[in-house]
Formats: sequence, C-alpha cells, structure tokens
Amino acid sequence: MNYLMLVCSDGEPIPAGTDVGAEIDVWIERCGTQRIYGEPLAPPDQAKTVRVRNAMTLISDGPYAETKEFIAGFDLLTCADLDAAVTLAAAHPIARFRSLELRPFPTEVSLDGAAEALAAAVGEPGERFLLMFCVDGIPEAEAVEAAIHAQSRAWGEQQGAADRLVFGSPLQPADTATTVRVRDGQTLLSDGPFVETKEFLAGIAILRCADRDEAVALAAAHPLAAFHRVEVRPFPEA
Amino acid sequence: MLAATIRRLGDWHLAEECAADAFAAAAARWPREGVPDRPGAWLTTVAVNRGRDRLRRGRRGGELLEQIGRDPGRATVSPGAHEIADLENPGATAIPDDRLALIFTCCHPALALEARVALTLRMLGGLSTPEIARAFLVEEAAMAKRLTRAKAKIAAAAIPYRVPAEADLPDRLSGVLAVLYLMFNGGYLTAGGGQLVRVSLCEEAIRLTRILTDLWDRDGEPLGLLALMLFHHSRRATRVDAAGELVRLEDQDRSRWEAPMIAEAQRALERAHTLGPAGPYGLQAAIAGCHARAATAAATDWGQIAALYGQLARILDTPVVALNRAVAVALSGDLTGGLTRLDALDADGTLTGYHLLPAARADLLCRAGRDREAAAAYRRAIGEAPAGPERRFLQRRLATITAGGAARSPTH
Repeated sequence: MNYLMLVCSDGEPIPAGTDVGAEIDVWIERCGTQRIYGEPLAPPDQAKTVRVRNAMTLISDGPYAETKEFIAGFDLLTCADLDAAVTLAAAHPIARFRSLELRPFPTEVSLDGAAEALAAAVGEPGERFLLMFCVDGIPEAEAVEAAIHAQSRAWGEQQGAADRLVFGSPLQPADTATTVRVRDGQTLLSDGPFVETKEFLAGIAILRCADRDEAVALAAAHPLAAFHRVEVRPFPEA
Repeated sequence: MLAATIRRLGDWHLAEECAADAFAAAAARWPREGVPDRPGAWLTTVAVNRGRDRLRRGRRGGELLEQIGRDPGRATVSPGAHEIADLENPGATAIPDDRLALIFTCCHPALALEARVALTLRMLGGLSTPEIARAFLVEEAAMAKRLTRAKAKIAAAAIPYRVPAEADLPDRLSGVLAVLYLMFNGGYLTAGGGQLVRVSLCEEAIRLTRILTDLWDRDGEPLGLLALMLFHHSRRATRVDAAGELVRLEDQDRSRWEAPMIAEAQRALERAHTLGPAGPYGLQAAIAGCHARAATAAATDWGQIAALYGQLARILDTPVVALNRAVAVALSGDLTGGLTRLDALDADGTLTGYHLLPAARADLLCRAGRDREAAAAYRRAIGEAPAGPERRFLQRRLATITAGGAARSPTH
C-alpha cells in the first residue's frame, strides 16, 4: 500500500535546541526502502492558487486552504499496511510538535527512474512545483465526471510526453485519512485529515517547469481547474 | 463465520454480503437436507465460494483474486478442507481466533471512536444497522453511512486485519477493552426503555473478553474486565422483576444470583491480582465482588468498597467515580460525609442533567430521615431520567416517601 504523508504545520516554531534537519536524516535512514521519495515545500506565502471560470484564469496568492495549519512537506511511502505507515509517521521528528497526515493512494505508486531524475534536477535550471488538486467532493453529472477523467489522463500524458511530469496520482478521499501526532511519548491517531476544510486534497502532481508562470499555465490547463482549484507550490530553493 | 469469510476474501463488504447469502442458502437447504455436521464450516465455505464467484465476475476481480492466490493464509485450493483444519487445530494458524483479529480491526484507533463501537456491534455483536442506530439515537441512514464509511476506510487505507504487533499491543488492547465494556453496557442500557437486559449482547462481550484473557497475561486488566462483566451478569435475572421493573441491588433476591458465574468472576479477579496491581477494570471488579460476596445487603462491606473507590479515584478521576465513592462513604457509616461529597459534586456542575446524582442524594436523604428534601431530590431525578424502567423506579420511590412514615426504610 502506498501513502502520501503530508507534513503539516500550524506555524508554531519548533523548540530551540531541536536539530530537526539531523533528526530527519536519521528518520530517512530508518525508513529505508519504505520511503520512495520526499521533499519539504516552500512556505505557503509562495503558493499561487489557480482556477478557471468562464475561460478566464484566476490566480490568487496563498494556499488552497486559508487556515492557520498548512502543508510544509511530503513523503511518498510504501508500507505493508496502515500500522506500518503510522509507525514511520510517529517516528518522524515533526510528529512530536506538529501533525502528519497519512492518505492512501488508490493504486500502486512508483517513481522508477523519475526519482533519480528529480534528485538530479536540484540545481538545474528546471524548477520543480507541486500541484495540489483541491476539490469540494460534490460530484458533477456523470458525463461531466467522465469527461474530467478523460481530460485529466490526457493532461498527464501530455506532461509526460513533454518530460515535465515527475509524478502524479489521485488520492483516496479525505475521509480515508489518518492524522498522526506524538505527545508525551504517546502516539495519537485521529480519523480524518489534519484540518477539516470544505475543500480537500484529491490528487497531486510534481512538474518540472521553466518558471512559475509555466507551472501556473499548466495548472490552469488541467480540467479540474475549471471546476475546483489547483494550488501551485514551489519547492524550496536549492 | 463472518470473520473467517473476511479472512478468506479480504474484502469486508463482499464478505458481509456473501455471509448473508450463505445464511439464506442454509435457510433453504437445512430444513430439507438436515443441518450439516459443521454448520459454521458449511456457511463459511458457501460464503467464500459465493464471494469468489462474485470476484470473478466483478470489475476488481482480477486484482483481488490474485491477492487471494498470493497469500497462503487467505485461501487454499479447498476452502472446505482448510476450514476443517482450522476447527480441529485452532492453534496452528497465526491468528488464534479470526474474531479476535476482527475485533482489533474494528477497534483500530485510526477509526473514530463511535465508528469503532458501531462496527464492533455490527461485525462481532451481530446487531443490525437499525438496532445500532437506535442504541446510538441516530437516524438509520446516518448509521448506515457511518458503517459504510468505516468499512471503506479499512479497505482504502489498508487497516490491517490481524492481531497487532507486539509493540502496539498494550495501547491497542486498552482500546479494545473500552469498546468491549461499551458493548457490555449496551446490553444493559437499551434505548427507549424497552427490554432492560439484552442478554446476547452482554454474552457476546463476555465471550470476546474471555478470548482476550487467554491471549494476554502481561497485566490483569482483561481478567479484571471479565470479572467485572461476570459479577454484573450473574445478577441479571434479579435486576428486573416479573413486570419488567427495575430492582435495586439491595432489594434483589440474592439466592437467584448465579453462584457459578460469581465463582468464575472471583477466580478471574484472583488471577488478575497475580499479574500486578489492579487497573481501573480490576478495581471496579473488586467493588462488584464485594457486593457479590455479601450474603445480605446489610452485610455489605461498605468500608472496603469506599476504600476501593478511593483507589479508583486516584487512577480514574471522573465525577461518576466520585459520585459512587460518596455513596459508599455514606453507607459505610458516614452519612453526613457522603452527603457533603454529593453536595460538592452537585455544586461543581459537571454532572448536571445526570439523573443518578439527585437519585443518590434522594436515597441518602431518605436514610437520614430528611424526607421532604429527599422528595425534592427524587422529583429532580425523575425530571432528568430517561423514560422507562429507571424513571418509573424513581416515581415509585417518590410515591412511597410522600405516602408517609410507613416507608421510612428505603428497602421497599
């Protein structure tokens, strides 16, 4: 089973004297092959949220959910089951201060050579962006849903053909999420995503683009932008 | 049987549907052909075969069948033979009891608490969705949705169907005990003032707890919970009278308490003590044991009970424990002290709307000969009690007091 682990922050500072960077290195070591890939993200004030209405591309500053909590990074995990994923999440140094959301992918996820390509991309001119597809969970008419599905696939194939798509996948619905925290040495689980919002994350894609404008244009070209919203978040500068 | 079907098919929803099909097939065939030697095995085999047929036809079939084929624990060429092997040699499988694995899955902390209880009642207690909806006082459609959602999450998020890993067991076990105790109490507290004791639900909770006690010997809490349930359950025949009315502990016919069940509870409690200091369930069982051992209500060792509540309050500091402790203090001879504790609880407001607080106060006031105040407390308790046997009991008590001095003794 594959999980997207979202590292979530409420913006509170990590207590002084905690070397999170070093602890994360230890954590990555511990994960071994169970961690496919992961990155921190640039802060949410660098995010753009894109939607298309009446053929107009509307761009707003900031992340999709205007909450105190925000997504600060992510990891792709491959684990035997949810217990194994919770064990990894609880061992993550951030779990003691903030929360981690585990969201299953509907199908098996692999990066194959793309992970190496991604690592190699650091420092290259091609910038990387995480696209987060946010939906309200209200289904459109069946024919519309089918069209969105077909166009989404075409969009993915197009990005792949242009050598821009590092990774892309839908996610299981938000109500399959489990949020993990560790407080006073106790692992605390809660049913559902790290913050309950009207809109929720329904899929992600990682793109290599020339610049932010291109990433925003590609997000606007995704069929979901016409119905919902797509957050475009850069990776931090190398 | 449902648990075994889930293990074979690896799909909860499908297993439930196929189990229902198997029961329907049994209803059609058993009256004609006779009940097979191993009815459970027969049902499981029929359900699993039905499930495989559906998987072959279904859209996700290929993938799931492949899984079943890959995992030798899930299926064999001949499910009938496998089932019989399980029955004859239960220790041979990694999972000592499918139902035990099932309860750990139903009580998984990644599910919301209310979903855990509902799912356990549905999958292990065998209650129907409308029955669970009534017990939770929610709409049937809402309960159906809650159950569907929980099952969908189990499948989508790969919540494992097995007894948890060693390291996770202590935490996971206390979660399971909480759900089992809720299930047991659900057997007593049916909504809407219907039948007062739903025996099958209590017995199912006891059965599952007994399985847990065989598995767990690192502390005495499962044994404590088992003892607690058995002490309570030994009195079930005397809790209500022929008219279905509630009978207080002190008024119950002790000769009808089930002595063998009390003896088993006592043994469980003694075994629990050998496994370390008593936890919340062990202490509550010890209190229930004090009642069970008293030959008459008057012979109850209230001093011991008050001391046990004192210990319990140190690890389980809840207003309900404080309420019971106050009553025990009063009945151990310190009536004024007990009433003072109750008044403090009342002033503190955490039990506002909980009818047992004014009911307990009424009873103590009555014992103190303060009938007028007792009547006022009974009226308040009646206003707060749910309709049904408990409210009627309070109304009878009030009627007795207001009828005059003849009812000074509270034992009528």
